[in-house]
Amino acid sequence: MTETDFDPEIIAFCCNWCSYAGADLAGVSRLKYPPNVSIIRVMCSGRVEPSYILKALELGADGVLVCGCHPGDCHYISGNLKAEKRINATGELLEDLGLDKRMHLEWVSASEGARFAEVVGGFVDELKEIGPNPLKQNGVIPKKSEFNLEALINETKVYYCVECGKCTSACPVSRLDPTYSPRQTIEKALEGIDNPKIKNEMLIDRELWSCLTCGICGEKCPSDVKYVDFVKRARSEASRLGSIGNCSKAGSLLSLAKIQTNKNIKQNRLNWITDDLKIGKEGDLLYFVGCLPYFDNLFGDTTNSIDIAKSTVKILNAAGIEPVIINDERCCGHDLLWGGDFENFEKLAKLNLENIKGVKRVVFSCPECYRTFKIDYPEYFGDLDFEPIHISELLEELIDEGKLEFNKLNEKVTYHDPCRLGRHLGIYDAPRNVLNAIGAEVIEMENSKSSSICCGVSAWINCDSFSKQMQIKRICEAKDTEADYLVTGCPKCKIHMKCSVSNKVPVDREKVDISIDDLSVIVSRALKSGGN
Amino acid sequence: MKIGVYICHCGINIAATVDVEKLTEHAESLPNVAISRNYQYMCSDPGQDLIKRDIEELGLDRIVVSACSPRIHEPTFREVMKESGLNPYCLEMVNIREQCSWVHEDKKRATKKAMGLLSASVARASLLEPLESKEVGVTKSALVIGGGIAGISAALGIADQGFKVYLVEKDSSIGGRMAQLDKTFPTLDCSACILTPKMVDVSRNPNIELMTYSEVTDVKGYVGNFKVTVTKKPRYIDEEICTGCGDCASACPYIRIPHEFNMGIELRGNPYVPFPQAVPLVYSIDRKHCNTCGNCVAICEPGAIDLYQEPKDIELDVGAIVVATGYDMFDPLLKPEYGYGEYDNVITGLEFERLSSASGPTQGKILINGKEPKNIVLIQCVGSRDKEIGNEYCSRVCCMYTAKHAHLIREKVPDANISIFYMDVRAFGKAFEEFYDRVRDEKVQYIRGNASEVYKKGDKLVVRAEDTLLGKPMEMEADLVVLATAIVPKEDSKDIGNLLRISQSPDGFFSEAHPKLRPMDTVTDGIFLAGCCQGPKDIPDTVAQARGAASVACGVLAKDVLLTEASVACVDEMLCRGCGECEETCEYGAPTVEEVRPGVFASRINEVLCKGCGACAVACCNGAIKMRHFTDDQIFAMIKAKMGAPV
Repeated sequence: MTETDFDPEIIAFCCNWCSYAGADLAGVSRLKYPPNVSIIRVMCSGRVEPSYILKALELGADGVLVCGCHPGDCHYISGNLKAEKRINATGELLEDLGLDKRMHLEWVSASEGARFAEVVGGFVDELKEIGPNPLKQNGVIPKKSEFNLEALINETKVYYCVECGKCTSACPVSRLDPTYSPRQTIEKALEGIDNPKIKNEMLIDRELWSCLTCGICGEKCPSDVKYVDFVKRARSEASRLGSIGNCSKAGSLLSLAKIQTNKNIKQNRLNWITDDLKIGKEGDLLYFVGCLPYFDNLFGDTTNSIDIAKSTVKILNAAGIEPVIINDERCCGHDLLWGGDFENFEKLAKLNLENIKGVKRVVFSCPECYRTFKIDYPEYFGDLDFEPIHISELLEELIDEGKLEFNKLNEKVTYHDPCRLGRHLGIYDAPRNVLNAIGAEVIEMENSKSSSICCGVSAWINCDSFSKQMQIKRICEAKDTEADYLVTGCPKCKIHMKCSVSNKVPVDREKVDISIDDLSVIVSRALKSGGN
Repeated sequence: MKIGVYICHCGINIAATVDVEKLTEHAESLPNVAISRNYQYMCSDPGQDLIKRDIEELGLDRIVVSACSPRIHEPTFREVMKESGLNPYCLEMVNIREQCSWVHEDKKRATKKAMGLLSASVARASLLEPLESKEVGVTKSALVIGGGIAGISAALGIADQGFKVYLVEKDSSIGGRMAQLDKTFPTLDCSACILTPKMVDVSRNPNIELMTYSEVTDVKGYVGNFKVTVTKKPRYIDEEICTGCGDCASACPYIRIPHEFNMGIELRGNPYVPFPQAVPLVYSIDRKHCNTCGNCVAICEPGAIDLYQEPKDIELDVGAIVVATGYDMFDPLLKPEYGYGEYDNVITGLEFERLSSASGPTQGKILINGKEPKNIVLIQCVGSRDKEIGNEYCSRVCCMYTAKHAHLIREKVPDANISIFYMDVRAFGKAFEEFYDRVRDEKVQYIRGNASEVYKKGDKLVVRAEDTLLGKPMEMEADLVVLATAIVPKEDSKDIGNLLRISQSPDGFFSEAHPKLRPMDTVTDGIFLAGCCQGPKDIPDTVAQARGAASVACGVLAKDVLLTEASVACVDEMLCRGCGECEETCEYGAPTVEEVRPGVFASRINEVLCKGCGACAVACCNGAIKMRHFTDDQIFAMIKAKMGAPV
């Protein structure tokens, strides 16, 4: 497409009272503007979810316009100000994705028909300058289903189930929601082999999405049923049938991942690297940062996720390592995979494997990325030509080699095992050894290691009332140890647990009053300054 | 699911630019569409019948009307739905007129755009859910805020229909600005003579509870069920006991306080009544000018005086509210070129009213420093039609009140030279042009030009301007300059707006819900506007709007139940984490987090308080709040359909 015949497509979200009326007035006044804009009416600009913007861009809209009442004129008092705050934050997110020029927030009052026409005309001109959205897709054809329940049952050993019910009794969801039972889902699956009605019921049931994929059922199952794998693959068919889990942030996180499946986007994901952090262009070790640069934008600064990445580089620098970090890194695809979107997962995995070249090892802060690289990538693409390793393992190694020195941290900590790192990959000791090495006293919670309680949410799916209860229970357990810190090795566990105590808490605040932080952050704090 | 799609030609308004046949064909290709038709005028009776017949014969359950803006005909087609037994919320409108055929010229591209819009709307229609309104009771009383002619007319209007009215006035008497005027244009009635009987009517009306020297300090609730707090400011005299005899005033040593009602032209004592015909005729003590000597307490026979009176909050339940808070006059100090405040013979129009009034400080004689001025200049548009000071609007009454002033001067100072500087004379009302002619016949010189400066030369004022009709700069001597200051929004209108949750237009006056069709309504149901708080008006227009506001308010009060908006937010209690973000974000207090099971918090939404903005749905991190009629699913479906992705 040459620049001249490029005809940008704009989706505009207009509030009913001011800007939609303003657009109407442009019509009543017969003002002309280019037909590149399609308006979606919402009652208030404060109704516009960032995920609407991401979705439009993900699907190839060249521009997104959000229009509301002028400050002070909002029909709902302050909806436009809420929109402004949120849309500005979304702008920052889009900046990291290299798409920021494709979104505008404009105030158009009901009497500003001319202004609406001007805004549209101006935006069309701007977009013509920038060119088409790299994410433009031409005629997406949904993949045909290759789902075979019987094969799935065979591969995940579901037919071994002896209906003992251990899974259900151990399941953290079932404990809170007695209607949820992994055993019954499996029973339905087995019946579904010959009965398409039951098969469909099982597939579109909300229960398929209630599973946290924490793997505790697998730990307890005497028959080696791979329930978590069963759920993962059944979800793919379920989503094809239109039953999808409830995603946090109205699906923003999934859009974010899907946007990254496109080869042509130009991310700016290294903005967090400050001068004091040394990174290399080449080397043996690559640090896979994951979604950390995007999280603070979506979850607010209170979770301070980027601190984890900064601490990791700081520690590696202290050990004399300048890790390779690439701007072309993509989401690992974990959340899409567990949300049943295998197609986009594969695209992300391919791009990551293409971009990661010439290194011997790749280190991860996030156990979900780690699991995905260690287990899922090889399943799809065969052996990797590098070794994936979790930061806790690498730290243990560096400490053993005497490459890191610490000021003794005279504090009591308790360690929360993330499901992916613990039950999925069996790494329980490394993080504890690291904590001991920095001089912390590790006190175990009531449920730890392989019986650790899940942080309540996985892949941003079905975060709900039960998740919160689980999180609160977990934090109460941590508080009961009288530790100063609840340490976890997973950035997502940190977000979920911080979220659960950030607002109203259904117990006394003292019962959950404990600092929550990531392993790397705690370790970097203990580093001997100027060491090595 | 069976969707019927109806495409309107709107004569040629749509059909000339959008290929309606092609659009009809396109609609047929969309999922769930059972029938697609186009017609000359969908909103006409035959057009509506077409839809009704299809609903009946084809068993349609969702209707998509592709026509004008939903802001115009959504109510019309929702009615069609109801009449056909379908839920009105199962209607979706596609705006292919205001937002397509009227703004685009290229027929091909406009048709393509219309097809995209239609695809999105059909996708949304498939996901529309029937919604039901809830019934709420109505408190059969009204609150009128402001006791000027607007508030008085509205209060009487409502009371005459048999409803209880609380009339709250912040000053010590009702009457407002109109009480200060001498004569009214163009009929030259004596303002007080026509107003005071109405004031007395208010005080005598058994349905009206008058609350003067009081302010509305809190408003909660919603249409039919407002909870209002009125704070009664201390007047230090018990109004139930005071007989209005005035003995207290004679006993007070403080007598040199600028008389507010007479625009400070004379001085008043303390305790005081603002003007002799005040209603209620009750004295007040100005504690700023009081040394609590106790003389007044001693002399007051009935013992009405309480120098330590405290403000008192009164709670009222009302079903409707009429806002009649009036206006301020433009502060001429903001236009220093006219010398107001610098020269005592430059006065404002309202000051002139008090000079001219028989009950004013000069008993109606035009006297400046005891002397009758002979050369009098009147300057129009002071603070209106002025972008520099931010008042773009025409103040509407100044042309005519200036003409009236000229007439009054001619009457009282027959040999005066009277000149009026104007930009345009806007004599648009009934009998206005005739009055303007009459004044010109009375040897009043109209000079077209806006005065640029008033300065002093010797003991005379000089007005400098250009006579733009002659194209000649000129200077004119004057003994008195009267500035036709504009009507401006009340200083505290932002606070009142916030209190009542009603909005202001860019000029600062309160916004009506629709400039043509809902001139008394505000965007908040159950709150209505009367008089100059909504924009500059003369007395007849103010009274008309006030009676209109009374009528619409009675429309609310006459109902036994009201139906609430059905498109409101709701909570999925299982998803809700009880974090309270919704509670934080809502401006209307609709969501509250409650303990739903031991140790489990969840949000619950008061559907009557919810206005349907959807802010809570966005604030909710994990999608536990669904904004009905604008659900995430519906909006995503529109985006996907528009972008050609599978929905």
